[in-house]
Amino acid sequence: MDQQVDVVVVGGGSTGCGVVRDLARRGLDAVLVEKGNLTHGTTGRMHGLLHSGGRYAVSDRKSARECIEENMVLRDIAGHCVEETGGLFVKRPEDSEEYFQEKLEGCRACDIPVEVIDGEEARRREPYLARDVEKAIALPDGAVDPFRLCVANAADAREHGARIETHAPVTDVLVEDGAVVGVEVEHETGPGKRVHREPGTTEEIRARHVVNATGAWAGNVGEMAGVDVEVRPSKGVMTVMNTRQVDTVINRCRPKGDADIIVPHETACILGTTDEEVDDPEDYPEEDWEVDLMIETLSELVPALKDARTLRSFWGVRPLYEPPGTGTEDPTDITRDYFLLDHGERDDLPGMTTIVGGKLTTYRMMAESISDHVCEALDHEATCDTAEAPLPGSENPARMDELMNEFGLRSPVARRSGQRLGSRADDVLDEWDPNPVVCECEGVTRAEIQDAIGEAGSDLNAVRLRTRASMGNCQGGFCSHRIAAELAREYPEPVVRDAEDELYQERWKGQRHALWGRQLSQAMLNHLLHATTMNRDGDPATLDAEVDFGAFDAGSEAGSAGSDAAGDSDAGTAATDGGCAADDAAIDGGRAADDAAIDGDREADDAAADGGA
Amino acid sequence: MTRHTDDGETEEANGPDEKREGVDGPDEKREDADGSTTGAAPSSPAPGVPEAGRDEQPSIFVPDDGEVPEGTPSERPATDGGVESAAGGSDSADLDPDAYDPVDVFPGGDLDLREGADSCYKCTSCDTSCPVAEVDDEFPGPKFQGPEQWRLKRKDDHDIDESITSCSNCMRCDDACPSSVPLSQMHNEARGQFVESQMEKLSREYIRNRILSNYRFFASIASKVPRLANAATKIPGAMKVGEKLLGIAGDREFPDFATQTFREWWKARGGAQVENPDKRVAYFHGCYSNYNTPEVGKAMVRVYEHFGYEVMVPPQKCSGTPMFANGMLKDARRHAETNVENLVEAIGEGADVIASCTSCSLSLRQEYPELFDIHGIEDVSEHTYEALEYLRINEDLEAELAGTELADEQSFAYHAPCHARNQGLDRQAVETFRDVDGVELEDVGDSCSGISGTYGWKEEKYEKSMEIGAEMFEHMEDAEGDVGMTECPTCAMQMEHGTGYEVEHPLQLLEDAVGA
Ligand SMILES: Cc1cc2nc3c(=O)[nH]c(=O)nc-3n(C[C@H](O)[C@H](O)[C@H](O)COP(=O)(O)OP(=O)(O)OC[C@H]3O[C@@H](n4cnc5c(N)ncnc54)[C@H](O)[C@@H]3O)c2cc1C
Ligand code: SF4
Ligand code: SF4
Repeated sequence: MDQQVDVVVVGGGSTGCGVVRDLARRGLDAVLVEKGNLTHGTTGRMHGLLHSGGRYAVSDRKSARECIEENMVLRDIAGHCVEETGGLFVKRPEDSEEYFQEKLEGCRACDIPVEVIDGEEARRREPYLARDVEKAIALPDGAVDPFRLCVANAADAREHGARIETHAPVTDVLVEDGAVVGVEVEHETGPGKRVHREPGTTEEIRARHVVNATGAWAGNVGEMAGVDVEVRPSKGVMTVMNTRQVDTVINRCRPKGDADIIVPHETACILGTTDEEVDDPEDYPEEDWEVDLMIETLSELVPALKDARTLRSFWGVRPLYEPPGTGTEDPTDITRDYFLLDHGERDDLPGMTTIVGGKLTTYRMMAESISDHVCEALDHEATCDTAEAPLPGSENPARMDELMNEFGLRSPVARRSGQRLGSRADDVLDEWDPNPVVCECEGVTRAEIQDAIGEAGSDLNAVRLRTRASMGNCQGGFCSHRIAAELAREYPEPVVRDAEDELYQERWKGQRHALWGRQLSQAMLNHLLHATTMNRDGDPATLDAEVDFGAFDAGSEAGSAGSDAAGDSDAGTAATDGGCAADDAAIDGGRAADDAAIDGDREADDAAADGGA
Repeated sequence: MTRHTDDGETEEANGPDEKREGVDGPDEKREDADGSTTGAAPSSPAPGVPEAGRDEQPSIFVPDDGEVPEGTPSERPATDGGVESAAGGSDSADLDPDAYDPVDVFPGGDLDLREGADSCYKCTSCDTSCPVAEVDDEFPGPKFQGPEQWRLKRKDDHDIDESITSCSNCMRCDDACPSSVPLSQMHNEARGQFVESQMEKLSREYIRNRILSNYRFFASIASKVPRLANAATKIPGAMKVGEKLLGIAGDREFPDFATQTFREWWKARGGAQVENPDKRVAYFHGCYSNYNTPEVGKAMVRVYEHFGYEVMVPPQKCSGTPMFANGMLKDARRHAETNVENLVEAIGEGADVIASCTSCSLSLRQEYPELFDIHGIEDVSEHTYEALEYLRINEDLEAELAGTELADEQSFAYHAPCHARNQGLDRQAVETFRDVDGVELEDVGDSCSGISGTYGWKEEKYEKSMEIGAEMFEHMEDAEGDVGMTECPTCAMQMEHGTGYEVEHPLQLLEDAVGA
């Protein structure tokens, strides 16, 4: 029945996951509720930069200091989520020398270890840098996998007694006698693991305190409680390249501006970004000029980008917040700091706190400060140990060489599995023999897919995020059905078909912004293969109606059975085609290097925008 | 007459100092240990060779003196990814994405070929055409070896999957790929990196591979005492000893060494018989025509002289084909430096380069520029042709052959080597002799012969090699003729080994047909 707990955390992004872990480790009874799967929001659509603080060293030294501090913490506690790439701030001839010096001083003032190198040395480290790059500041930027990070936080929280509930949007905030006493959640239908409640039911979770960690959506949840939270969502584009042109984070050393950073992430490079205020974090235009701008501008730093293959593009919205009355015009000027809004103090509504703003890099610090606040409110004495306790998967460094021999994996495959699974690699890989590669582009084996299915259930987009399966060149064209086949060991056929469609369409969605050159060829080949071998451009099996196979045998006189069937296809399974316009936009995933999932709300709009079929 | 037949030079590159570059120990120090990065580029470029340009760049491949120690900044300037952009910087028209090469991203100057993965659609055509993948379940195939393995690579990754050593370098995957993925370049580079950094240098396999790939070195010794060498390889049990000691397939017969090498013949005959500054060709005979089948080389010379060409025979070393297949890239580079230097000089004197072995021509044309950056290497690549191909381009062979008749009717079972296929030459022999009376040339199909140079010589690959070749043997036996024909000397060995047929080179038939 309805539950009484200490704390409900709303929002399964980096902030919410960090908070629920911290609270659980401090011994509180906590529940995390998230409307999609973990990282469904901004966290699943960010750049993947583990900030050294360099980007803020001139404009916002407080943030810069926090970044370098947390950067070091994450290397320790989340080694399997972090790649220590290092970073460069590069200066082209037309970039201001004065700013370069300011940047340098700023970094030093914030205790960010820096080294100034000349253009030649920069090109020795990153040979694809443009010839006229004059010099650079080297500093400890890194790459972070947001999904792995959130999953590890949630897993640790669960180990410490917390309940993690995905696909469960908060539909109301319960207010009694002028205080927040809990939330109402709806358990959605759709793929995913629902261990606690039946799909389609609502549940009231009563809690002594509610933490609103819904980022760009914080205003909506605030509204449910009757308070004003002024989040100014600002969108940014990220474009994913097929291969790595650089193995170091490359920043342009100039004040602020669009398209000034390249982050190597797993097998890809991600270019970013823009900063434009939008009205609705769920519904904003994804524009081609933004993608063009990324490639044009960043090829001034790395000319090879111009000619390189683009896989897809995706957008995220920053949950920027500024205290009422600040009135900043340009979103790039809004502080990147985070804010803790104590609604008891601020709005005379005790029982709820909102945390908003900040960065993924500082998620742990944000979580610590809000957990301190919650503990104080609940009169709970406990100390925070999240800066020292390693996350599951990072307990001990992966043993790459041994993995290879032990599990008979090809070396690049073993290397990638080891990097993804961290210290869990042994347990996961040990389960399956034979253990064929299911996703060839990213080197993902059956064992890893099955492990992810075990964790995430039938939601193949969640499986994708855990494993990277279907995130390479073919974008699911050659593997989505194989991944779905892994699901079929356990789940009934309609579920498998649905899950496959959702995965395939999510892949298609991001590719729509890369349909030229080689990715266009890939998309065409994918479509034709799926149409001709799986009949996905009109598969009778995806229609609910009986197919009159007899009519085929009887010849043309018997009338056309197929066309009738199409009429009443309001079936339980999605009648989709993996690429035909009417359906392909059903999903608002988009995050290529790592993304989150499905968003029914945008379906109609996108389909219309795509020009129907 | 031309200085290319000059004895002094011939000796220099082919003679007594042979030992220096042979297999005199697994980790010998090279004589050119100065790491002469600009290779053998002459101080002033040969006539007709463009100066400077990208080939002037220092070598991007392993310098001969070994590894650049990690962390030590290299003294050579880094190459870059483009031309300088205008001062404004934002005018994208100034960026030339074509202006970069695979550069030395990885430690030790190894090539970065990750970009090649951009062209792969995962269509798997390469895998389905790989003869090794067909018979070897342990071999993951070219798609994995090439674009997938490269794409998964990061800067600090050193290891290459061992399976790369099972690729025979037949290069059928190159030919199969609809999207120009540089598969064999990826394989060659990965194999080189594997052998360089992961293969046990004292292992039996390494030594065996080094011997097989330095065939020329042994052949040069053997041909000094050909009868003895021939006899030695025929001593009962000798090959079994080779198998035990070195892992060289015991069921193979070592090829006979000619009593007079091609170069000895050429010298004895007084070099070129035709002088013609307007029609010059530099003959790259390769090792096999020199040491084992000089009759092919002689046929080449006679046919070309018949058509009025002045033939030059520049000093030369191994084309590198067997070395690429075994990842011995340093050896290959050393030989390439000599070859390029001498061929560039010949090109400067107006010659085109002609090879009678399709693997040699492929190596000079494709693998050289893909793997090495030696002054003039692009020029060599652009000026190299296979012997029959060149005549078909430049002479009216059809008219010449129309109405010719061979004295004795002869039928041939023709096999097109994989490397010929890669150059688009797989039908040339059949087409050339179609109209010659008394000649029947039957194409035995597009399967791989299975020997792929040194692959079939390895004890552990012998059976797979014969399994790959089975289709060709069968078709040869079904074919009318009982004489084999092919352009590739190792395919010829395999054809002979599998069927007992005698095997000829198309040039020999052409020699007969034109009565040269
Ligand atoms: C383009 C871009 C690039 C960025 N790059 C970087 C970077 O490189 N490095 C870095 O450190 N930071 C970066 N950031 C910032 C960083 O991504 C965010 O600060 C961080 O991810 C915010 O996490 P969050 O948990 O607060 O919000 P979110 O991740 O948005 O989490 C909020 C969650 O709440 C859920 N939710 C909303 N409403 C409800 C409801 N009613 N019921 C239940 N759940 C609900 C949402 O589904 C969502 O999952 C970037 C941001 C953007 C936009
Ligand atoms: S070169 Fe030949 S053996 Fe090697 S992968 Fe390609 S097709 Fe297979
Ligand atoms: S044939 Fe070419 S495009 Fe197709 S899978 Fe092989 S490498 Fe990729």
